[in-house]
Amino acid sequence: MKALFRKLAWLTHRRDKEAELRAELEFHLGEESEERMSEGWSPAEARLEARRELGNMTRVAEETRAAWGWTLAEQFAQDLRYALRNMASNKTFSALAILSLTLGIGANTAIFSFMDSILLRSLPVDHPERLVILSFWTKENEVHGMNMHDDSFLPAKTGYGDSVFSYPAFAMIQSNNRIFSDVFGYQGAGDLHFAAGDRAEIARTEYVTGNYFQALGVPPAAGRLIVHDDDRAGAGPVAVISYALSQRRFGSVENATGKSVHINQHPFTVIGVTPPHFFGADPAMAPDVYIPIHSILTLAGEGFARQSFTDANTEWIVTMARLRPGVSRAQAQDVLAPQLAQWMRTVNIARNRADLPRLIIRDGGAGLNGVRYQYSRPLLILLVLVGLILILACANIANLLLARATARRREIAVRLGIGAGRSRLVRQLLTESVVLASAGGAMGILFAIWGIRFLTALIGNGQENFTLHADLNWHVLAATAGLAIATGLLFGLTPALQATRGDLLPALKESRTSGGLARGSGTGKLSRGLLVLQMALSLVILVAAGLFVRTLNKLESIQLGFNRENVLTFSLNATQAGYRDAEVFDFYGKLRDRFAGVPGVRGASLSDIRLVGGRMFTGVSVSGDEPRASLVVSVGPDFLSTMQIPLRLGRELEQLDMTHSHISAMVNQEFVKRRMGGQNPLGQFVSFGSAACAKCSAEIVGVSGNAMVGRDVTDEFRPVVYVPYTMNVWGGLRDMYYELRTAGDPMSLAGKVRELVREADPRLPVSDMQTQRSVIDGTMNREVIFARLCTGFAVLALLIACVGLYGSMSYNVARRTGEIGIRMALGAPRRTVIWMVLGEVLLLASVGLAIGIPAALMGSKLVKSFLYQTEPHDPLTMAVAAASLLVAAILAGYLPARSAAKIDPISALRHE
Amino acid sequence: MPDPPRVELLQGTLDLLILRTLLPGPSHGHAIAKHIQRTSEELLQVETGSLYPALHRLEAKGWISASWQLSDKGKRARYYRLTASGRKQLAKEQSRWQTLSRAIGLVLNPTGQEGQ
Repeated sequence: MKALFRKLAWLTHRRDKEAELRAELEFHLGEESEERMSEGWSPAEARLEARRELGNMTRVAEETRAAWGWTLAEQFAQDLRYALRNMASNKTFSALAILSLTLGIGANTAIFSFMDSILLRSLPVDHPERLVILSFWTKENEVHGMNMHDDSFLPAKTGYGDSVFSYPAFAMIQSNNRIFSDVFGYQGAGDLHFAAGDRAEIARTEYVTGNYFQALGVPPAAGRLIVHDDDRAGAGPVAVISYALSQRRFGSVENATGKSVHINQHPFTVIGVTPPHFFGADPAMAPDVYIPIHSILTLAGEGFARQSFTDANTEWIVTMARLRPGVSRAQAQDVLAPQLAQWMRTVNIARNRADLPRLIIRDGGAGLNGVRYQYSRPLLILLVLVGLILILACANIANLLLARATARRREIAVRLGIGAGRSRLVRQLLTESVVLASAGGAMGILFAIWGIRFLTALIGNGQENFTLHADLNWHVLAATAGLAIATGLLFGLTPALQATRGDLLPALKESRTSGGLARGSGTGKLSRGLLVLQMALSLVILVAAGLFVRTLNKLESIQLGFNRENVLTFSLNATQAGYRDAEVFDFYGKLRDRFAGVPGVRGASLSDIRLVGGRMFTGVSVSGDEPRASLVVSVGPDFLSTMQIPLRLGRELEQLDMTHSHISAMVNQEFVKRRMGGQNPLGQFVSFGSAACAKCSAEIVGVSGNAMVGRDVTDEFRPVVYVPYTMNVWGGLRDMYYELRTAGDPMSLAGKVRELVREADPRLPVSDMQTQRSVIDGTMNREVIFARLCTGFAVLALLIACVGLYGSMSYNVARRTGEIGIRMALGAPRRTVIWMVLGEVLLLASVGLAIGIPAALMGSKLVKSFLYQTEPHDPLTMAVAAASLLVAAILAGYLPARSAAKIDPISALRHE
Repeated sequence: MPDPPRVELLQGTLDLLILRTLLPGPSHGHAIAKHIQRTSEELLQVETGSLYPALHRLEAKGWISASWQLSDKGKRARYYRLTASGRKQLAKEQSRWQTLSRAIGLVLNPTGQEGQ
């Protein structure tokens, strides 16, 4: 420590030190010559002899200075200056290398950080590894559920799966406390009207069982969380709010506790706040408000409230459990599955006896996360692609540095020749590489931060409440940066390593005539190998991009059976304003009439789901036959004409059908074909398996063309029954979607719509307003992301590969100036010179293609499941990819080729 | 003038000699060199080229300290003096050297055994 201070003190007195040293040596000389003069020498001779004795004064001074211990730092500063000067004088090289590093490090970190937040992170709760999700699957879906039909855990098309259970089933599982220490559940309550004081907003709300928080092991940030006693009929209405909502509405967690609020006009007391990092058992939902599930008795429509706690056919509780210590998931499943099957047989359940739900206990440590399953495989594919880009970037850096190394061989040899120490030289080259790598690394971090934001926006595409919390993952950043920088260092040292190998003379004698990507030399082979690798990898990425773009095109051209253009849709929930039963229908109906009268609106209707936006199944029987699963859509008047679904037979549901006591219904052609054997359906009756509407039946008055009712555009056309919304087939009076067919741009009516709703009831918020087209595009989100990202990657890959090609070829040409000069002097036409360079480029590209095409054919099989009506070996895609690669390679090679052709033979030869 | 016979300084011994020379009191570079030459009966010749780096190195290690003083002839000279840690270092180096030279002496003149 003391030594350090002394050194620092010296550093500040640097100039004085130099003067002192000179004075000290001067004094020595004086003493020495005086001594000699006293021995009888003449003053001049004495002085000269003293000088001789002292030796080289500069060297003495230099060595003495070395003793001060600052040489290393001084040399470093020198190296740094030299490195910066070098970078500045090779702007293109530096820019290309830094760009490669930035892209490699940044893109990888961004994608991986995203994967980490979606796939790898556990719930921020106590012992997440012991949490499980209870799910089931059946061959056919027959009972209507309330959930989003999350069957992502099943292999594709092997049946129906879900994670919701009826309350009686939930209670049965809960009673089994031998394997589980806790069984808890929740269900989204939707976006509810949340009013505190005089301010109201829409808050995402979740029903949770009384033991939810205790079972998850989540501590409150303030107040207390919901406990068992809060969750029973007749308990005081309590709510727990999220940390974010407490900050937003009340300023602090303490302020929020104890506040009275209104949820859908019902009074609740806020008893506590969840911790900041808790986003619910399904992180993709991220509720703002948690209320006990028994609140459903007050909040839901009467029909649903009545049946929700007693009916074994109403499946709605997402069920999770915590395993007892020492019990494995498989053991739990072995114990519980037969018990559940046995229980199902004892209750009167409206399911096919041969196809009762089979229990599946899944890992719940990461929560039930729809987003997780939806994006896990796509992200893996993206990760592979980005990994390829990282390899490309590293290969590029290696190549650029190799090319420069070759170009600098002479410089290095000269420096070694005039006595530069080898270690000193290595240190200097290392400094250059470190400077380059640090610049690239810093840019990479910035790019990663930007990339995460960009990805969040891309994946969240239009979703208002998208709640994926991706943070920059420093481990990944360190790993990718480490890899890229190590590459830089390794190849940055090549000139030094080459120089230390063998003697200097050949390199010194080497003039600009020889060399290039020195044929046959180790460096040349390595460099060409890297270029070929880049070409091959780029082709693979190009093919992937091509396949995804084709898939997106196919998806966009699917016939949906209705006109998706010029339709404005939005959602309303009249129950939020306190309307009940018949008032709700009345309100919806009158509002529709007002919309229909707006200038620019050509048709208006409403429905409980949006076409290509959701689906609700229930068992439907025709003329009393065995009920089978069908899609049921509740619609308002003029639904077919508004959506432009063709009417095939009979008539469509009109205004009168909404209020008539004799219920009419429409079916689609698929229903007629599959359920009625193609017979005339008009006048036949359908009845519904829904518990709320067990006795309802409706007469078929019309047949529509097939229109897509499903989760996305690739869903098949299934049997559909359209019923009047006033029939309230599900029992729960819920939000409705309005559809307005417009003459022009649908969004231009948004203001008018809000105004009309405000006039009708100022308490009611309009939510989820978008065009029917954007609803459909939303279901293709994944494909859109794939197509966009992969196209981006492909451009990136091509760019990086071309940069490498361009860099190497430019160096090559620069080094062969002499040779080319001689050729031209001997009569080679410019065209030949151009072809000489382009020929090399084409050769490299062709070898790259020869390797890349088989690799792409193998690789594309991995993405087969993401393709729609596109073969993995799609010849058109392959051809376009190969052609783009060749064109890009020729473009990258043309500039150096042209500069080669511009070489003036005379000046080139004089240069020798 | 014929040069007197000289021995090369062993690596690392210059530091020891400098420290020892400074034991009686402060001295400047030239005087140190002369003193070593004189007391070694001209057998050891200190190269100026290695003397000053060595002095500055010892100073950097904190074993000696330097200050500008007037010499006996009234000129400003850089005087070095032994510090406390330099004194300790000297003791250590000295005993190490003595052990080493005794050991080498024993090997070179194995008096006890050769007599038999």
